Amino acid sequence: MPILSSILLVPILTLCLLLLMPARAVSAIRWLCALSGLAASALSLKLFFAYDSLAGGLQFSEHVSWVEGVGISYHVAADGFGTVLILLNSLVYFTGVLTMWDLGHRVKEYFVFMVLLVIGVYGVFMSQDLFFLFFFYEIAVVPMYPLILVWGSGNKDYAAMKLMVFLLAGSALLFPGLLAIYHEAGMQTFDMVALATHSFDAEFQVFCYPFIYLGFGVLAGMFPFHGWSPTGHVAAPSAVSMLHAGVLMKLGAFGVLAVGMRLLPAGAVYWAPTFSVLAAIGIIYGAFVAMRQSDFKFVIGFSSVSHMGVVLLGLNLATLGKAGADALNGAVFQMFAHGVMTALFFSTVGFIYDRAHSKTLADFGGLGSQMPRAVSLFIIAGLCGAGLPGLASFWPELLVFLAALETYPIIGVAIIGGLVLTAVYILRVFALAFYGPPNPRWEGLRTQDMRGMQLLPRAILVAVLVFFGFYPNAMLNTINQTTAALLGRF
Amino acid sequence: MDTLTLALLATLSPLPAFFVALVLLNNRPSMAQAVAIFGTALALLGSVGLLLQGPTEPLRFAWFSSGQIHLQFGFLLDGMSLMFGVAVALITLCVMIYSLGYMAADPGRARYFAMLSLFAWAMLSFVYAVDLLQSFIFWELVGLASFFLIGFWYEKPEASAAARKAFLMTRIGDVGLFIGILMILPLTNNFDLPALLDPDTGLVKLAGPALSTITLLIFMGIVGKSAQFPLHTWLPDAMEGPTPVSALLHSATMVAAGVYLMARLHPLFMAAPDTLHIVLAVAAFTALLSATIAMVATDIKKVLAYSSISQLGFMLMGLAAGSLFAGVFHLITHAVFKALLFLCSGVYIHHFATNDMREIGRRGGRSLGATTLGLAIGAGALAGLPPLAGFFSKEEIFAALGHEGSTLFYIAALIAAFLTAYYTARMFFLIALPDEVVKEHHDDSHHGSPQPIVMLAPIALLAIGAVGLGFFGAAIAAQLGLVPAHHEIASMLPAVGVVILGMALAYFDYGRTAAPRRGFIAAVPALHALFVNKWYIDEFYRAVFVRLNDALSALFFAIESRFFDDGFDQVGHSAIRAGSGASRLQNGWVQFYAGATMFFVGLAALYIGLR
Amino acid sequence: MTLESYLALGLALFSLGLVAALSQRNLIAVLIGIELMMNAASLNFMAFNRYVVEDPAVGQVFVLIIIGLAAAEVAIFLSIILRLYRQRREIDSEHITTLKG
Repeated sequence: MPILSSILLVPILTLCLLLLMPARAVSAIRWLCALSGLAASALSLKLFFAYDSLAGGLQFSEHVSWVEGVGISYHVAADGFGTVLILLNSLVYFTGVLTMWDLGHRVKEYFVFMVLLVIGVYGVFMSQDLFFLFFFYEIAVVPMYPLILVWGSGNKDYAAMKLMVFLLAGSALLFPGLLAIYHEAGMQTFDMVALATHSFDAEFQVFCYPFIYLGFGVLAGMFPFHGWSPTGHVAAPSAVSMLHAGVLMKLGAFGVLAVGMRLLPAGAVYWAPTFSVLAAIGIIYGAFVAMRQSDFKFVIGFSSVSHMGVVLLGLNLATLGKAGADALNGAVFQMFAHGVMTALFFSTVGFIYDRAHSKTLADFGGLGSQMPRAVSLFIIAGLCGAGLPGLASFWPELLVFLAALETYPIIGVAIIGGLVLTAVYILRVFALAFYGPPNPRWEGLRTQDMRGMQLLPRAILVAVLVFFGFYPNAMLNTINQTTAALLGRF
Repeated sequence: MDTLTLALLATLSPLPAFFVALVLLNNRPSMAQAVAIFGTALALLGSVGLLLQGPTEPLRFAWFSSGQIHLQFGFLLDGMSLMFGVAVALITLCVMIYSLGYMAADPGRARYFAMLSLFAWAMLSFVYAVDLLQSFIFWELVGLASFFLIGFWYEKPEASAAARKAFLMTRIGDVGLFIGILMILPLTNNFDLPALLDPDTGLVKLAGPALSTITLLIFMGIVGKSAQFPLHTWLPDAMEGPTPVSALLHSATMVAAGVYLMARLHPLFMAAPDTLHIVLAVAAFTALLSATIAMVATDIKKVLAYSSISQLGFMLMGLAAGSLFAGVFHLITHAVFKALLFLCSGVYIHHFATNDMREIGRRGGRSLGATTLGLAIGAGALAGLPPLAGFFSKEEIFAALGHEGSTLFYIAALIAAFLTAYYTARMFFLIALPDEVVKEHHDDSHHGSPQPIVMLAPIALLAIGAVGLGFFGAAIAAQLGLVPAHHEIASMLPAVGVVILGMALAYFDYGRTAAPRRGFIAAVPALHALFVNKWYIDEFYRAVFVRLNDALSALFFAIESRFFDDGFDQVGHSAIRAGSGASRLQNGWVQFYAGATMFFVGLAALYIGLR
Repeated sequence: MTLESYLALGLALFSLGLVAALSQRNLIAVLIGIELMMNAASLNFMAFNRYVVEDPAVGQVFVLIIIGLAAAEVAIFLSIILRLYRQRREIDSEHITTLKG
């Protein structure tokens, strides 16, 4: 049984079964999704270990012709990046289902959309065909709208609309870009492996690259088109925020990597200085804006803008200078680390919100003694966000900073200085919400702290963060060869 | 046992204790205590074993590779790390045992002991680290433990604020350190300490501006961690934490990590004379600045905190003056006698529930005889009274400074030593020789004994160290592979002179029966106010940096909400407006449609006709 | 009589009908204008039929269809006007703009 297709089939089968199940069989629906998440995680782990990191390159290739006339084929394969990101998606999928265990409102529909989103994400990470890549990309994006609109909170109509408008605007840039690549190559194929052998005209690359970069970049929360992402985070239900910040934003960065940088290397080099500066601004900007937010999720949302800036900066620096391998390794590692970290953030904040029905920082104060476990988990995620060594985020930041320092010393110094800003906004959350005298309003929460099964998803995420924090080679070994291969194109 | 086992024992054993105490035994404090103490005891065993084995080759393991970089982790087992490792493990164990008494009534003590274990693990791993990046990682983790321990009573707003401040101030220094470390990487492709320090192939060869920049940036981290001016203000605030924590982290070990790092990289610093001048200047200024503040403080922990800052300045001066031995020797003696002083002060604070020295004296501080004896020994050692430990190590620093030939810094150090003697004696006199003693009837039943054995035993152990350690100078130098210089008696006279002068002045101000009980500095009200207000540095930072940060974040927030949010909303709104404008053409009047149709058909006909 | 004169008559007829259809507000008058335009078209068909086309049947078929169409159209148009009149008590085209955007 080909492993990539089985990973993709798990959620597809789940979706079919879900559609057939009666809506009132709530508990069966939950268990089905949890089992599906577990199965997908197991398969992804198997993929992670089966991937031959010494050989590198695309492995587990499956190729079925579909529309031969225009050269569309179902072609899936995983390189080091895809392997890692598929694992991330499985992890967030599984823990996301567990996070939403207590959902009571329209359970069946919720999981249908969520599984649909997961299918799209898997598809993007493994597709080697431009058509299918775009197809899965849209599948991943569209369910966000109902998920936020129906199960969201707060200003959800606005958030859902804003998110949709931004993402579809991104697609509108992307689609002509992809078609232009297809047309320009003149090879009558959408297969990226084949397209990668074509060397595109330099002028065309320079013209086309911004379409791809901006189109995918919107989804990656790139400054200055990041506005949809914090708003969307805030309004979405916890597990959707987890998937959204944890995986969906990575689709954007992955797209830049797999389409933009792979097919249009000269364009990437041409535009890298501009986009590096934008990414660096995003890092600092996100941190400053996060400092003034009054809502838990807005703080995390803007911290995501800041952290995704590190990813984008790494991608751009990879095309320049001699520390390219570090920059690219850092960017991909950061995608993974940030995904796990924000999943933990939102999972925990969601837990607190479900019980307190507030996510305004100033409403809390001294929550540390009332919900010590939930707060501890948040603190771990926060420290990871602040780039503390021993947690996964430290390594990618180290690598990207290193590359920045070598390529653009000023940017390097500025973003390392940004570590202080990160600490400022993270500590502000701790001080406002968790430390200080306990607020009598939340005394009732003392008995509702996390226990048993509720701890499981969060514990998994923490374990992953700590594991990669102390053993970064587990990640770097997998991606090193792929990085080297991609850098060979510049 | 082989070296690797011992090294693993010495560094790793507190880690499971941390996990078990925090996660599994959170509701069973007494078991958590036992586990934590057991873990640290094992670490002590391991580090003593390593010391007995003597210096050996470093142990290295592959850890991390990306691009051209291949990093290793492992254990650097030279004399310096072996000695400091034992000191850290021993003092940690002392403090843990002491905490059994001090924290006996605290419901959160499982967390407390867990965090102490976290600290022990991180600190010991830092001490034995073979790789500069490994050092940095544990340097940060030590800071994390410090953050949690300062904020241990996080429900107190002051403690929470102090923890935050400590984290941020050290972070500012760490940014410099981080940049400095990363700048090394392209030059060497690894961070292996012995390789970096190799006199033939290491970084020393680099010399010139590049090395000066790197060492200066590293020094920035040291300034943050070892609380030197201008980043020193977090350390006095850190006294909000439990007193044993202050003893362990914020005087004896963690803040000394900066000094330790500089000692580790001593050859690099020695090759960068520009940096050394700056280090000397900063350290001397810090030593003076904090000594003046300690002179007027009334909170016993604040006095000790400022004296720690001042003594760290001394150590850095010793190192910067070129004497590795002076710096390391003072580092070790200071760790012992300052821990002793803090533990003694903890007994008073625990018993009298106040930090005010005058209050402690008035309510009969000296009635706690054993503690007061410990305080006397510690104070003597801190002041540099012969033949206590502090005398010998300070003497080395003076010798180094005299040898280095810079009179300015020598005199600065003498003044700082004079002030040290003065405020130390003042502290002792305020507690032991108050003008009146108010008799209070203590209800000892709920307090237990004011000096339980678990608290006295560590004090006694450290007191022995504070008395005897000074005589082991030669042994310590031998561990470092150095031969201590022989000092003339005459060269010691100025230092001993200022110490005696300072103590005499303190006796005149506070000790004698008719003493005015106000410092001589009160004669100059402006200076007195400056010192009491800590040179207005906190106020300055608040007025400038905090406000600047607030202003910037407000600015960016405004850009976000006004420009980006509203801007993109405007784009949406204008699309809607354009739509509703265009829909006005759709006026529903049939003849208008027909007319428009005819008009355009006519135009088309005209076009075709003219072609 | 030449083809041009027939076409000129058709043009005049069509223009009159167009002006009537666009300028009159009474729907009955509009209907009359439309009828005039259709008749102009029929006239043109017949003229071309007579002078240009070989087989005379083609034009006649078209004209017959137009006449049939016009009859059907009048029936529908009048019934709509009647319904409108019953509802609104007026048939002024300027006021019947329920479908405006």
